[in-house]
Amino acid sequence: MAAHNLGTELDLSWISKVQVNHPAVLRRAQQVQARRTVKKEWQAAWLLKAVTFIDLTTLSGDDTSSNVQRLCYKAKYPIREDLLKALNMHDKDITTAAVCVYPARVCDAVRALKAAGCNIPVASVATGFPAGQTHLKTRLEEIRLAVEDGASEIDVVINRSLVLTGQWEGSDFIKTSTGKETVNATFPVAIVMLRAIRDFFWKTGNKIGFKPAGGIRSAKDALAWLSLIKEELGDEWLKPELFRIGASTLLSDIERQIYHHVTGRYAAYHDLPMS
Amino acid sequence: MAAATRTAPRAREIFTTLEYGPAPESHACALAWLDTQDRHLGHYVNGKWLKPEHRNSVPCQDPITGENLASCLQAQAEDVAAAVEAARTALENWSTLPGARRAQHLTRLAKMIQKHQRLLWTLESLVTGRAVREVRDRDVPLAQQLLQYHAVQAHTQEEALAGWEPMGVIGLIVPPTFSFLEMMWRICPALAVGCTVVVLVPPASPAPLLLAQLAGELGSFPGILNVISGPTSLGPVLASQPGVQKVAFCGAVEEGRALRRTLAGQGLELSLALGAESLLLLTEAADVDSAVEGVVDATWSDRSQGGLRLLIQESVWDETMTRLQARMGRLRVGRGLDGAVDMGARGAAARDLAQRYVREAQSQGAQVFQAGDVPSDSPFYPPTLISDLPPASPCAQTEVPWPLVVASPFRTAKEALAVANGTPRGGSASVWSERLGQALELGYGLRMGIVWINAHGLRDPAVPTGGCKESGSSWHGGPDGLYEYLQPSGTPARQPSLSENLNYDTFGLAVPSTLPAGPETGPSPAPPYGLFVGGRFQAPGARSSRPIQDSHGNLHGYVAEGGAKDIRGAVEAAHQAAPGWVGQSPGARAALLGALAAALERRESALAARLERHGVELKVAKAEVELSVRRLRAWGARAQAQGHTLQVAELRGPVLRLREPLGVLAIVCPDEWPLLAFVSLLAPALAHGNTVVLVPSGTCPIPALEVCQDVATLLPAGLVNVVTGDRDHLTRCMALHQDVQALWYFGSVQGSQFVEWASAGNLKPVWVNRGLPRAWDQDAEGAGPELGLRAAQTKALWLPMGD
Repeated sequence: MAAHNLGTELDLSWISKVQVNHPAVLRRAQQVQARRTVKKEWQAAWLLKAVTFIDLTTLSGDDTSSNVQRLCYKAKYPIREDLLKALNMHDKDITTAAVCVYPARVCDAVRALKAAGCNIPVASVATGFPAGQTHLKTRLEEIRLAVEDGASEIDVVINRSLVLTGQWEGSDFIKTSTGKETVNATFPVAIVMLRAIRDFFWKTGNKIGFKPAGGIRSAKDALAWLSLIKEELGDEWLKPELFRIGASTLLSDIERQIYHHVTGRYAAYHDLPMS
Repeated sequence: MAAATRTAPRAREIFTTLEYGPAPESHACALAWLDTQDRHLGHYVNGKWLKPEHRNSVPCQDPITGENLASCLQAQAEDVAAAVEAARTALENWSTLPGARRAQHLTRLAKMIQKHQRLLWTLESLVTGRAVREVRDRDVPLAQQLLQYHAVQAHTQEEALAGWEPMGVIGLIVPPTFSFLEMMWRICPALAVGCTVVVLVPPASPAPLLLAQLAGELGSFPGILNVISGPTSLGPVLASQPGVQKVAFCGAVEEGRALRRTLAGQGLELSLALGAESLLLLTEAADVDSAVEGVVDATWSDRSQGGLRLLIQESVWDETMTRLQARMGRLRVGRGLDGAVDMGARGAAARDLAQRYVREAQSQGAQVFQAGDVPSDSPFYPPTLISDLPPASPCAQTEVPWPLVVASPFRTAKEALAVANGTPRGGSASVWSERLGQALELGYGLRMGIVWINAHGLRDPAVPTGGCKESGSSWHGGPDGLYEYLQPSGTPARQPSLSENLNYDTFGLAVPSTLPAGPETGPSPAPPYGLFVGGRFQAPGARSSRPIQDSHGNLHGYVAEGGAKDIRGAVEAAHQAAPGWVGQSPGARAALLGALAAALERRESALAARLERHGVELKVAKAEVELSVRRLRAWGARAQAQGHTLQVAELRGPVLRLREPLGVLAIVCPDEWPLLAFVSLLAPALAHGNTVVLVPSGTCPIPALEVCQDVATLLPAGLVNVVTGDRDHLTRCMALHQDVQALWYFGSVQGSQFVEWASAGNLKPVWVNRGLPRAWDQDAEGAGPELGLRAAQTKALWLPMGD
């Protein structure tokens, strides 16, 4: 990730001044999904763009090097080559933004991506994911080890007890949730976060990235998220340095929609390679 | 359409620019429907298409491409007559049906709309140019909810609305810029309570015709909804048809004023819903980003028909303007049938109006900011933000048109209220503040029909929607919407009582001079002489008197001859007393009315003697005093149960239906029942928090003056003012007074007509008896719910909640 938040003096008056009206935000969340839609070629292009924002993720207890390897190949070749050719997009080097795994699988991912001959970054969740309730010492050590193994991005779970007691932490990127909660990325929460990012940019000139994670499964959802970023932050945030979608099954639905756009048929399960 | 003329960019290019593309909604079904009429639309009357020969027709055009979609016949007087005749015939059956049967029919119509909703929304968006998203996602579902809500009301009508009956045939006139939904808001309650309707829609509006056709195709009751298209100038023709009991008009303020004058004395009810401007009040304690979305909802999302006055607290002015301008840059304007636009086009008239306003504002020194993705073709007008408009400039006084927002700063909440209430308009407003106390203070303080707290433009069938001041005091939705089309059972049918030769310029202008009329022979002590104004008896400005005779023609005494200046003084005194009286709790008001009742009881023999001298039998006179005492007590008790909370689907939090005082209420009492009528009118007015200026009975004003002696010691000064004198003259003064908020008139046919005509000045609600007597001693007419309904105005206060 290119952007780095150089930080500012902590000024709690910024936070105390923030006003959020919950019902109004809920209404905005409904509207933003209903007021924009893209169709036909626009939809295909937007979906391909969405692919480049995906942190293709596997965070399962039973992850092994074989399924991580498969994931990495899918990250490199997210959409069937013939479909890309039909759209004249085959030379655009469309890959996902990153591969996201547990710290212990970073080595596997780095190896697999190297073998595939690409420089897709490996992101590692760390610091006692998903609860973050471990000692600071082990959390820092976890980050060090992941970086040593070749991870270039770290998804840190902050210690939420600090947030709830008003002791804030800074970051380059903010994420809606771990994806492991009962409720994950929702539009109303995202709207509040995006407005905070915009305010911070207006005040300091620093662009903070945004990553919704969890529950984004359909191509339609992905389009709505892109549109939300475009509406609330603008086009300059629509690049992998500033926007990521944490997802595991989203990619296959996008590929399915692209297949339909190109062929006019709905794909069978076996028409598209699994990840 | 700009997007169509561009060459479609390949996916490659879009991948880089990530722009929005066209998302057209097919309107094939709308065109197919027009084809079923051979692209030639008439009127829909009595369940059939009516396409008379030899009529002018106007083209119905796509507002964006200018393509001719169909030709529409313009109605003439005989077409209007045919429609009213159909409605009258249908009324006989429809109004006598059990409510449950009507409910069934409305539910069937809701289902019919559900089945043909795509046709409805594409047709509406195609013809009006409004964003299809708004029509599809909001208007069409709301139309169905309206029918369902009113079906429920019809179902419970016999029980919940006992003592009321349907008015009869309703004439509805809607403006050119309206959506079919505005028609639904009004026809649903009218049909539910048993009225039948003739709607006059502007030429070239197919959606209402489609709705009428859908209703007609239900088979039974064909004549209950008739739609004719023609110019607004046919309004008076519609109103003058025998059988039409009420005209409901929505449109521009000046048109409403003109219609009010034209229909004066015609014996029908007129309800007006005028203007479309809204107001948004943004405090420093607001969630500014959400408030900016409120501005978008109010003006730039094809939801409302008017512009917005935006009041921003000075301390957040810069921040708000930055955010607002950034947000404007992301708005998309385009063909309404495109699923991804915020705003469509509204036709040349609306665009020209906006353009004129902007030019004028600029010439008066205002800053104009325009932004958004707007096609360069002519039918579109960009979202526009105007600031720095000098408050005293002519532009700042006139109504803000679509799609304009006029922003101005304020310093304190108090100043905000003064600015917001300082216009003749009283439609809708929203308050944005996260401070509960402040939000409620502002919400209650705004003189508007609807106030939303931290939201803008929410609507629901269960919530009354309406206005006050020059926005017209008609209501639709909720209980208030039903009462618009109901009258107390037994109300006599409309009597045309128009005096063609009534001269409005001279009616009541001169006061005939009076001379001494012989020796005074009244019982002593005589009531104090003078007008009762500001809590004490004062000599009249004209320094002259009028003699009052008893039933034998002997001089009973002199009362003061009040005039224009006395009315002015009385209205001023009433205004001064208003804040204190409004601030009293209903309980405190009831206690004071109770005290007045007790005082009247003590005065019983004196009052009865006065009445006796005017030819009332002593027993009857005593009964009149007793009944007057009861009236005072009864209204005190009733006023304690005012307003209630409404529950709205899909809204967390309550909507308060407040019943607020009208303000200064002028009352011209009837000659008959000199004490009872006076008290019967005074009591509900006071109980509901109004301050009053009364003109007592002309033949027997002395009992009223006698009551004033107790008023002087018991009630706050200025609350009740009684002016005696020439009734026509005083009526004229009060009816033409711009700062009298409502007027009740019980007197002659001519006086009623004059009051209706003169009320057009500030569009005050008036209640006139058209020369008909009223049974003041009967509870139904003397103390019925109608009085309570007329003595206060509704306000809907939306309070969405969330943490």
